[in-house]
Amino acid sequence: MARFYVAGVDAGSTYTKAALVDDEGKLVATAVLMTGVRIIEAARRAYEEVLNKAGISRDDVRYLVGTGYGRYNITFGNTQITEISCHAKGAHYLFPGTRTVLDMGGQDTKAIRINERGEVVDFCMNDKCAAGTGRFIEGAAKALGLSLKEVGELSLKGKKPVKISSTCAVFAETETMEQLAWGNSIEDVLYGVHSSMATRSIGLLRRVGIEPELTFTGGVSLNPGMVKCLEEQLGMKINTSPLTMFCGAIGAALFGLEKLKSKPVTTASGVRM
Amino acid sequence: MSQQLDRAKQLQGELVKQYYKQVRETVERGGKVAYCFVMANPIELLKVFDIAPIYPEITSLQISYRGGAPPLIGLSEEFGYSTDCCGYVKMGVATVLNNGQTSIGYIPTPDLAMLTYSGCQIYIHWWEQYQYLRGTPVFTIDIPYVRDYDGHIPRHDIRYVAGQLEELIPKLEQFTGKRFDEEKLREIIRLSAEAWDLWRRCLETGKLKPSPIDAYFEAIYYMSAITLIRGSRECVDFYRFLLDELMARYEQGVGPTPEERFRLVFEGVPNYPFFSRFWGLFRGWNARCVAATYPKVAGIIDMGAFSLNPDKPIESLAEYMIHAYCNWNMISRANLIQRYVREYEADGVVIHSIKSCRSFSMGHGDIREYLIKDLDVPALHIESDHVDPRYYSEAQLKNRVDAFFESLSIRKGV
Repeated sequence: MARFYVAGVDAGSTYTKAALVDDEGKLVATAVLMTGVRIIEAARRAYEEVLNKAGISRDDVRYLVGTGYGRYNITFGNTQITEISCHAKGAHYLFPGTRTVLDMGGQDTKAIRINERGEVVDFCMNDKCAAGTGRFIEGAAKALGLSLKEVGELSLKGKKPVKISSTCAVFAETETMEQLAWGNSIEDVLYGVHSSMATRSIGLLRRVGIEPELTFTGGVSLNPGMVKCLEEQLGMKINTSPLTMFCGAIGAALFGLEKLKSKPVTTASGVRM
Repeated sequence: MSQQLDRAKQLQGELVKQYYKQVRETVERGGKVAYCFVMANPIELLKVFDIAPIYPEITSLQISYRGGAPPLIGLSEEFGYSTDCCGYVKMGVATVLNNGQTSIGYIPTPDLAMLTYSGCQIYIHWWEQYQYLRGTPVFTIDIPYVRDYDGHIPRHDIRYVAGQLEELIPKLEQFTGKRFDEEKLREIIRLSAEAWDLWRRCLETGKLKPSPIDAYFEAIYYMSAITLIRGSRECVDFYRFLLDELMARYEQGVGPTPEERFRLVFEGVPNYPFFSRFWGLFRGWNARCVAATYPKVAGIIDMGAFSLNPDKPIESLAEYMIHAYCNWNMISRANLIQRYVREYEADGVVIHSIKSCRSFSMGHGDIREYLIKDLDVPALHIESDHVDPRYYSEAQLKNRVDAFFESLSIRKGV
């Protein structure tokens, strides 16, 4: 049994993720749920769930770090750190050879270059619109009446990617419907959707420089169609795992552990909710 | 910061009020109003003819700073301007469409439009719009673009601008009915030169550690005097006062933030509609801008390459006009930023692009890459707009700014 635990809560635009590490920095549990409109509520619930999964109580948690767009709403935490730093740290934890991170979330895409210690050297993000982010896939899925899981899998069956001219998340639905109306198969249209998003993200990655290993994080990293298109276009293997969507929360928890180790803890009972 | 060491900002506010009063007085006594650009204007020469300058770029930012931009931008968009067109242009045109009525008061309409064409293509079309709307005469001076600045401007370029200024003199005589008075020009230039020199010294206090000035966010207040009232005794007195105040700050160990945790070089035009919050993104990290390019947009005064000279009034004015910041190519600008990083011992560079201005934002992505990849200088590139509040997205800006400081903290070990 660990002496204490450290938690990270990543309040993203679409999902809220939580992760728990023990006093030696080992990942113990993760949890995820939809963010919705009540960010703080989602953060509390994700935190509760990760505690339940680990079978521990709040008193066992000595530090909590909030990250993601909603990080300043996580008022029950000890500090906040941007998801850029956290994804870098989380990716480095899961794949220590990581030098480049592509984080594709619901509303933004980030290319991050890191050093051998998992520290951010440079980063670039998508412009103020949601083009080239998870929202585009969501729009296409909605137009086809499919789940997010289905669109990724179906795209793998595509033979020839349909050229998608727009990556605007708002126009995703009309673009998808138009391509189908032209007689293209659903599989080829979805292959095209993933392919055009991969091209856009690679442009972002080139701005920070692509140095292997490349780790793909964020919610979209669970999409096998996206992984395939990225690997095809980059001509290299990329790291991903069922845990990569939790990189922000994992990194946050690890930052918390570092902070604890760098200075004495003032509150013995840990995080209070 | 103790109140008594932040007096210059209030003083500049009073000077701005006086400036508008003087413009109104000029109109009342039958003098002319010239619309001028901040970059490369020969205001010293215009003053000789009792011509009062209005700078639509400055009135726009002042209106925007006080939240009054949307109705004017909306008016221009209804008139037919695209959302992508420069916010300054739309506000400047709307001011005239609205007969000078704005949320900060009456802005006199132009009797002439002094076009100093320097690195911004839209300048021509903007001034032509006044000609179209009101028949305003446009007086044009073409400024040669500066490529790969090596510390000197070619003689023929200086002669080219000086020749145009010499041609302008009889035209202004005819327009105003006043004779050119060279002695008066020398006196105005002497006062301008003195103010520029003091302003340069104020900005150079950013080299001190800790810096007593925020050479970007505070300089934005301080720089109004050099643009609006240079060539006057009040302008010289203001910068002397400011220099004393900055030195007193240094001696007493006070500055624009509680402490100096980070030293930054800033490139780009600020966001005016949310100025205080925009500054807050950096101030919250105890970051001080020790050098910036924007306060020298009207003239790069710290390269030691030129100074206004009363003994060569026309030539030195021409040389000054060529030293407008946006009139320089990207490589010269990147070199200037690099020089600031070195001489002011900065930790990193923040580049703020604005949607409106391609001339200022041109090459920002490349400058960022050059700093990071070739020089190993941390750099952050963010974007919003200078006057249009619709392009300011604070959550996204804050995310980028915070991540930049997080990585700077690790790099500096602070």
